[in-house]
Amino acid sequence: MSENKILFNTGSLEEISEEIGKITNNEESRLKLTPDNADSGLAKLVLTLVELIRKLVEKQAMRRVDGGSLTEEEIERLGETLMKLELKMEELKKHFNLTDRDLNINLGPLGDLM
Amino acid sequence: MEMMIYALASVKKNPEKLNMLLSRMKGISGAGIYAVNFNEISAVVSDINRADLIADRSNALEYAEVIETLAQQFTLLPMRFGSLMESTEAIIKMLERNYNEIQHNLQKVESKWEFGLKIFCDPEKLKAELMAKSEADIKTSAKPTPETRNSVYRDYVNNKLKEHRLEELILTYVDSVIAELTGHLARLNAVNKFKKMATASTIIDAVFLLDKDKKGELIQAVEALQKHYAGLNFVLTGPWPPYNFVEITIK
Repeated sequence: MSENKILFNTGSLEEISEEIGKITNNEESRLKLTPDNADSGLAKLVLTLVELIRKLVEKQAMRRVDGGSLTEEEIERLGETLMKLELKMEELKKHFNLTDRDLNINLGPLGDLM
Repeated sequence: MEMMIYALASVKKNPEKLNMLLSRMKGISGAGIYAVNFNEISAVVSDINRADLIADRSNALEYAEVIETLAQQFTLLPMRFGSLMESTEAIIKMLERNYNEIQHNLQKVESKWEFGLKIFCDPEKLKAELMAKSEADIKTSAKPTPETRNSVYRDYVNNKLKEHRLEELILTYVDSVIAELTGHLARLNAVNKFKKMATASTIIDAVFLLDKDKKGELIQAVEALQKHYAGLNFVLTGPWPPYNFVEITIK
């Protein structure tokens, strides 16, 4: 971006440029499926969807806890379930050599998935 | 050889003005640029080999340069990089099929520029500030904290709940910044699009479409907003061709 296009700016240009780079050029988080990496690409895709659903379940559960509609026993069971789900997810990521960043697929103009 | 379309321009009754401008311009990789006309709309095109059309930084900049130069003199709708058609006839047919929709979009962006505003924060600092404020509010409200069991699962839920509440606090804060900004922009009759939390630091990524003569007022509005939110960094850019305000599905 040429500097004469910047009409008002309160940060350092280096920091801003780095941030814009994160938004517009998130290369490593793009899903690259090719004939050579079909197995790992598929694992990444499937685990991304599983992680997305797990996060949605977690979010909904926290809304209910926050809303005060659950008993202490229910919260206890919920905690156990969510914790086990998270641990299982960690195992799967390790097994397929994936990180949290790998599972946050970049959806182009829509931004990151999670 | 195929034809790449840079933009669809409104030439009204004066296509010669566009032809004159195009004769002095160069497109991607130095390719010549010319117009394919249908009634009052011109598609601005270059002949190009599909294999040579690489979506790299240099080509993207050359592409944007063409659109930018045209936008200085014409109302136009930028096309997505790499929009190819096989012949002049195919382009004319496309313009004919979509003529009303293209004209409608051209009217929407006539005499207007696009501006972009990105608002950045220091995520850790913002979280700490919001948490401190929230804790102070809880103390003021003096609500009794319910008794809870002590177990590893309950601690896990408590930690998750804390994260959840923090996310909600950030979203409420971002909404309040957007509401204030929208108030300023309403006075300028701007059309807005907002994206929240594009990254942990970029809390707002917005684009506005507004009359060309309102640039100064927009800058003042953003300056006023920044004074109110001194902990945030603001970057206002433009004027740009209306990249984010073209809503046509080409048939």
